[in-house]
Amino acid sequence: MIEIKDVSFSYSGVNALNNINLSIEDGEAVALMGANGSGKSTLLKLINGIISPDRGVYKFNNEEITAKELKDPIFAKRLHQKIGFVFQNSDTQLFCADVYDEIAFGPRQMGISESDVEQRVNDCLNLLNIQDFKHRQPYHLSGGEKRKVAIASVLVLNPEVLVLDEPMNGLDPRTQRWLVEFLVKLNQAGKTLIISTHSLELVPELSSRAILFGENHTIAADMPTEKLLDDVDLLKRVNLVDEYYHSHAGKDHKHFHDHSF
Amino acid sequence: MHIPDNYLSPQTCAVMGAAMIPVWAVAVKKIKAEVPKEMIPLLGIGAAVSFLLMMFNVPLPGGTTGHAVGGTLLAILLGPWAACISVTVALLIQALMFGDGGILSFGANCFNMAFVLPFVGYYIYKFIKDSVKTDKGEYIGMIAGSYIGINVAAFCAAIEFGIQPLLFKSATGQPLYCPYPLSVTIPAMTIPHLLVAGVVEVLFTVAVFSFVKKVSPGTIYEGAKEKTKAIYGLIIGLICLTPLGLLAAGTAWGEWGTDEIQDVVSGGSALGFVPAGMQNGFSFEALMPDYSVSGLPEAAGYILSAIAGAAILIILFKVIGYLKKDKGESALE
Amino acid sequence: MRLNDNRMDALNMPEWLLTDENYSPPNDRDTFVNKSILSFLSILARIKTQDSSETGKYGISAIFKVAFTFMLILLLSLSRSFVFVMIINVYLIVILSLMKAEDIVKILKVSLVMSLFTFILLLPAAFWGNSSSTILITGKVFATITVVNILSRTTKWTSITGALKKFFVPDLFILVLDITIKYIVMLGDFALSMLYALKLRSVGKNKSKYTALSGIGGTLFIKSKEMAEDMYIAMECRGFTGEYHVYNNFKFTIADFGYIMINVGIIVLFVYFGRI
Ligand SMILES: Nc1ncnc2c1ncn2[C@@H]1O[C@H](COP(=O)(O)OP(=O)(O)O)[C@@H](O)[C@H]1O
Ligand SMILES: [Mg+2]
Repeated sequence: MIEIKDVSFSYSGVNALNNINLSIEDGEAVALMGANGSGKSTLLKLINGIISPDRGVYKFNNEEITAKELKDPIFAKRLHQKIGFVFQNSDTQLFCADVYDEIAFGPRQMGISESDVEQRVNDCLNLLNIQDFKHRQPYHLSGGEKRKVAIASVLVLNPEVLVLDEPMNGLDPRTQRWLVEFLVKLNQAGKTLIISTHSLELVPELSSRAILFGENHTIAADMPTEKLLDDVDLLKRVNLVDEYYHSHAGKDHKHFHDHSF
Repeated sequence: MHIPDNYLSPQTCAVMGAAMIPVWAVAVKKIKAEVPKEMIPLLGIGAAVSFLLMMFNVPLPGGTTGHAVGGTLLAILLGPWAACISVTVALLIQALMFGDGGILSFGANCFNMAFVLPFVGYYIYKFIKDSVKTDKGEYIGMIAGSYIGINVAAFCAAIEFGIQPLLFKSATGQPLYCPYPLSVTIPAMTIPHLLVAGVVEVLFTVAVFSFVKKVSPGTIYEGAKEKTKAIYGLIIGLICLTPLGLLAAGTAWGEWGTDEIQDVVSGGSALGFVPAGMQNGFSFEALMPDYSVSGLPEAAGYILSAIAGAAILIILFKVIGYLKKDKGESALE
Repeated sequence: MRLNDNRMDALNMPEWLLTDENYSPPNDRDTFVNKSILSFLSILARIKTQDSSETGKYGISAIFKVAFTFMLILLLSLSRSFVFVMIINVYLIVILSLMKAEDIVKILKVSLVMSLFTFILLLPAAFWGNSSSTILITGKVFATITVVNILSRTTKWTSITGALKKFFVPDLFILVLDITIKYIVMLGDFALSMLYALKLRSVGKNKSKYTALSGIGGTLFIKSKEMAEDMYIAMECRGFTGEYHVYNNFKFTIADFGYIMINVGIIVLFVYFGRI
């Protein structure tokens, strides 16, 4: 479904992706890991067609996505419907004056009847458990509520792929747990998920495959999540964890010690 | 509406700059009195917002887009004095850091966009809002204020342009700065603003204001309680504008027949090429001023050309090299 | 999509979410989103790249650069001599040729477009016989735009604002300028993300474009008010008393001397060719 070959990208001179090779199948759930600034968000932007590769090839559903193709509005809109993107900062994703309008913004453009739009919006409100905020202003919601509205506003377009940039960030543990379960359900329902995260604790529940970015903006590892979490040396090498981190090979015994006290 | 340098004479620029100094001084005083402590962040961040509002492309009916100035909007949201300083700082950054709008003409640009626009816009808004006293009144005031505000500002710019040929000519009668008289500059500036820029300004103002009012009404500037002041402001504004209006009426447009052209070019005809140029149509030779090389010894002229030639070649090679290298990389959309 | 039916019931997923969306987007006239994105990208890139620009490459103090740039603009504006304007243009082209290709392209783009615009604007006047002023003004416009852009591309902006202090601009005003530039980046990044969000969810025909625009512009404003409040609190906490001092250490270098000599030469030329 997604094929990335030898892709590099820099922001006016600042390298952010270096020779990335990756392929993701329909229905997979993939976690992107890596230290801050390693290039996770950049890769997600590339997948969503916000930026296009400087070098290399990015293919979605066997179609090559280039800067030229993206300039064609019809092509770009088709891509944007198929791939949904939940931003790292939900504040920047909500621009309507009312939660209902926020979620209805996308489907209203798709030429479906207003009653179908209402159906979809209500379904999404229920799925994310935010019926009560229906007529609140997104701007004044709490961080967790905003994240849910952002997810609903993307999910309502029924994308094939859902891309989430550090979705657990800034949420309380209970909401984090709820979100993980929700995402797992979505994946089971057939949605392809690409999730960047720092949460070593939750990542094994989210996906069985993990892709690890090195600080040199290359892919340092692409392996089963369990195996990656056990490879402490590798995690240290990419500066994702420090020397206090260690995991235990024992299966059901994986936890995080805090040795600083 | 950003006037670049060399369209206005330095004298005009000096006058406009001088006119702004008391305005800035009063503005800072007023803001200090209204929000003594929050002044610095308010002005700095207000200016950033002002700068960014000018970057938005506003959709127009028909699919084209235009930029708004947002002067009236800021005046309604922050108060006219804070808007004045915010727009001023935004214009300064544009001129100094982005080379957008002139350095000498900075005072004139501030006069039009940081003073006339927000104040005219704001007081019209306030006058209508205070007299109608309904939500509808508020929006009507906003529409009228932002539309009239930007048009009056454009009109001021037109006058600044238009008085140049009257006041500043070389010894031979050639205009040194903007060569067009009021009869040309006024329609040239006001028509596009009446038809397009004014509409952009209204759409943008109403759109942003209504969102802010719905989501966070507490952030909007309260405004002076007394409504009389607004009326005085309006009246004073109108009185100030009357002489300008008279000036404009003097040379209603369409009237710029041969008389006026003759007037403007009478000195130029001494050079001998004017009538020829006009009778024989456009001739490129006539474009080259005949004193262009006089005053410079021939040898020096050659040296100058040689230096320019060499520099241009270097630039050419660098540019070609740069473009070649750039081809492979795709831009951010 | 891969799915078996009993699982679907168990998950309680709505029907439409489980079927493939067979969607072909209609055309829409919504170039304002892309155009706004481009405007924001270009100003943000401009500010960010200038942060890292190697300043003082030629070792000339910002204060002299700013002062003589202003002087040159004033002389150009006053001058009635075609020769003087030509010499300045050649001088500027020589400076340009010493710069990086990338900067050359960007500066020339602006000054050529502006001069061409001026030329076309003044063309009708040329028909009336004001041809020498057409050439003169176009030449002045080219020189002025080029010199301002050379200044802003070879000098760190903080150095420019610092230099303003030497011209009796109050410290507080310089503080406001610095805050403005910083927040243009922060709020600009914010607005850019919102524009991307709008673009990604604009998958068809948007019937209320102004609603979307109002959301972005309005959120930007409300956010800015919040930031101003936070900043005020932060300033209080750090003991900001309303006094602010801009410090700059300034050393006179040999490059400064050379630069001053060149500019003295320019003044001499101006007087010599002066008011012909
Ligand atoms: N808009 C931008 N302009 C310039 N550099 C950027 C921009 N966004 C990200 N970068 C740089 O690109 C690199 C990768 O960033 P990013 O993809 O955001 O990393 P991550 O999401 O893994 O934290 C970093 O070095 C970052 O500084
Ligand atoms: Mg990131």
